[in-house]
Amino acid sequence: MVGMSVLRSAAAFAARLSPLKAGSNVSNLLSRTVPRPNEVAVRWGHGKKMFVIKPTGFYDSRFLRLLQYYILLTGIPVAVIVTSVNVFIGEAKLAEIPEGYEPEHWEYYKHPITRWITRTFYDSPVKDYEKMMAAIKVEQEKAEERLTQLEVRRQMRQKGDGPWFHLETIDRNLVDNNPKSTPDN
Amino acid sequence: MPSDHDRDAYPEPPRQTPAVDKQTDLPNPALIASKLFYYAVDLPVSTFRGFVESVQSGNQSVYYHQKFRRIPDLTECQRGDYVCYYEAEMQWRRDYKVDQEIVKVIQERMRACQQREGASFPQNCAKELQQFNDVAKAFQLRYGDLGAYASGRKCLMKQKERMIAAQAEQA
Repeated sequence: MVGMSVLRSAAAFAARLSPLKAGSNVSNLLSRTVPRPNEVAVRWGHGKKMFVIKPTGFYDSRFLRLLQYYILLTGIPVAVIVTSVNVFIGEAKLAEIPEGYEPEHWEYYKHPITRWITRTFYDSPVKDYEKMMAAIKVEQEKAEERLTQLEVRRQMRQKGDGPWFHLETIDRNLVDNNPKSTPDN
Repeated sequence: MPSDHDRDAYPEPPRQTPAVDKQTDLPNPALIASKLFYYAVDLPVSTFRGFVESVQSGNQSVYYHQKFRRIPDLTECQRGDYVCYYEAEMQWRRDYKVDQEIVKVIQERMRACQQREGASFPQNCAKELQQFNDVAKAFQLRYGDLGAYASGRKCLMKQKERMIAAQAEQA
């Protein structure tokens, strides 16, 4: 056994030392252990060129490209604006309210963009409070009116003397009393 | 820069830096690391901060804390006076928010104390722990199970129940 492997490796060594011509039949040799260094098609420089068949990445990369484009279209201006506001304008500092001074409703916020939004678009919270109280007052008066109306109706119907439950009768002067004017009719 | 925190509420432990007693000729790696950090991070950031502050010092604006007047409570409203109910309700909501923030501040103090003391906090932080327990218990008693649709009326009813229970317990 060992002798066989020694023989095989000796044959391989001899074949390497004297490389055979290209036309010789491979099966003549102990071909498993014979390297053929002069005749390979591959150099280990760039690797063998492969024609890789894979599914198309066009649609995926197009999607990602368009996503990036549309996000950055508004993302970059917003980032630039917010950065410049934070660097050049800066946040407000906390201070005590001076005597006799009523601050505007946007002067209760710290960040300049928040202040701008509340100044430009929103009503002051005091005004919102008053609007809500006015709405509640209107609804309260409506509810009270309805309740009193129901109560008045009930009283008039019960006592029979209110103006809502008068039935119109004809004028007393127009009534013809002849049929009842003598007792024997 | 914002003002520093309250030194009494968050006390710092005494510094324990030892006196330098160098016994080798090798350079001190901690010193090298700290100098590296200083020149790579601290100095650029501080100069940028200085530049930003010099730009912003021109247009400096201020903001204030809003102060609200006290309103007659829900117990002092006439029956059916919905405007009074609304104002009392808004005041109750503001007070609820203030109480939540109070509990958060006390909790923050307790956490800072625990972080400072490490393993010996049950002994050293007894005051903060007691304070937090009291405040949390009081908050739970007053606002505890009112739920997401809490209102001044429900809180008042809860207080009424508490008073009834206390009276029944006394008697």
